[in-house]
Amino acid sequence: MRSITLGHYLPGDSLLHRMDPRIKLLSLFILIAALFLIKTFLGFAIFCVFVLIVFFNAGLPWRYFLRGLKPIFYIVFFTITLHFLFTKGGRVYWHWGPLTVEEAGIYMGSFMTIRLVLLVITTLLITLTTSPIAFADGIEFLLRPFRRLGVPGHEIAMMMTIALRFIPTLMEEGVKIRNAQMARGADFETGNVFLRARSLVPLLVPLFISAFRRADELALAMEARCYRGGENRTKMRQLEATPLDYWGLVAVAGFTLALVCCGA
Amino acid sequence: MLIETRKLTHTYMPGTPFQVEALKDVSLKIRRGEFIGIIGETGSGKSTLVQHFNGLLKPSAGEILFKGRNIWGAEFNLRKLRSHVALLFQFPEQQLFEETVWKDVVFGPRNLGLSGEELDKRARYGLELVGLDYEAYRERSPFNLSGGEKRRVALAGVLAMKPEVIILDEPTAGMDPVGRRNLMQQIEKMHKEENLTVILVTHNMEDVSYLAEKIYIFSHGKMVLQGAPAEVFKSATALEEIGLNLPPLTDLLLKLKEKKQEMRTDLFSVEEAACEILYHFKKG
Repeated sequence: MRSITLGHYLPGDSLLHRMDPRIKLLSLFILIAALFLIKTFLGFAIFCVFVLIVFFNAGLPWRYFLRGLKPIFYIVFFTITLHFLFTKGGRVYWHWGPLTVEEAGIYMGSFMTIRLVLLVITTLLITLTTSPIAFADGIEFLLRPFRRLGVPGHEIAMMMTIALRFIPTLMEEGVKIRNAQMARGADFETGNVFLRARSLVPLLVPLFISAFRRADELALAMEARCYRGGENRTKMRQLEATPLDYWGLVAVAGFTLALVCCGA
Repeated sequence: MLIETRKLTHTYMPGTPFQVEALKDVSLKIRRGEFIGIIGETGSGKSTLVQHFNGLLKPSAGEILFKGRNIWGAEFNLRKLRSHVALLFQFPEQQLFEETVWKDVVFGPRNLGLSGEELDKRARYGLELVGLDYEAYRERSPFNLSGGEKRRVALAGVLAMKPEVIILDEPTAGMDPVGRRNLMQQIEKMHKEENLTVILVTHNMEDVSYLAEKIYIFSHGKMVLQGAPAEVFKSATALEEIGLNLPPLTDLLLKLKEKKQEMRTDLFSVEEAACEILYHFKKG
């Protein structure tokens, strides 16, 4: 419950922390695109070195890196297993009844795994160094061109900010309610699946009630301050990209272009 | 000795940039049947401390003993401890979840493995101890009660487990003066009649001054003062330094003492103080 690192901002003062969130998001899109265009292991290796350099330059500790990978453990596990067993082609290394492990399977399995892991680490780079508010501001700006198509950029950003803002609050409250019920002898740890699911009722009912109450209070407070989103709304914090930010974007774009064009 | 802590230290989120040392080297002893006040401003570590008493938090260093046994020792049963040491959190009405008051109150006793008629007995015991009529409330939904009633139901829920110690974390927070007084009277009654050990956590000096036999004052995770209320309040300046106000009554008596040397300052009920003041002023 307390191990959610994805989207967990780690305050700091590195170059990456201070980078304009819009530039960071654009760079993220470019890098993710690159990950899907890279065709060789050498390409991944170069990409990996690049990401690691940025990661440690930002002063991020190793533990966060590993913790961020924990949630995708099962996805990685299934990717490897399915590819190893069912992708056919090339030499046969091992077989048991209808199941075989073939060369193409091993190749595809490792390729996909590396791609997944790099995807998560690259995203972590941004989420760990960008405060949720800056992140939402960035998204709002980048969604602006799509307003004509009816995409409510501001509302999406506002919803994101609120959701992110309340994750720690609700977790704290969850821990508090859990402790309160444990003080009344509740047991959340032992028993079979059904018993454990039922033991969650004393935790979830109060948590939902409080979440609805908070949502209600927040809506009222926003209304009382005459909030209306969207059109013509100005911002207290104006985003301003510095020349250094643009150079960063150019560097990322250049790196990606070089990587993809050289056929890596 | 019922509860004892030895050099208890607690650090939240160690090894991260969010690391906070909430408690530092706290050693104290609580006897059976005592009424203890734990006082400190917000963030002084008082809530962290009491969550150690029933094993909800594990100390980062130091030990905590219940009846002389280390509660984090190998063969110690923490769930059993929690039935002896009940803890009522701040705003306990948030922990209600059942459809009826009866079901919610017996949640604790049920977790102790009780069933049948014993549950009825426990529910009646708990509800009557907090001053709610058993028959009138048992079938009502806890969510349709008033704030004060909800809090009493939550209190009944922990009392129904018949604990030896009850820890109350800011039990009167957010209540009006009348509700506050009623609840405090109820707490006083159960302390006297049931010989419960009560540990009251608060930043309100008035609540504890006339009830507690001993108070511990916390500031920034450390215990800074301890003793009987009258003794502790003598160090008025020290209290002000850590951001705590004397109870208005003690404050008044201390100021009057400057004029009348023989004025007593260890009185904590309005009636007693009034008698004392009248006595001195009639004397001239």
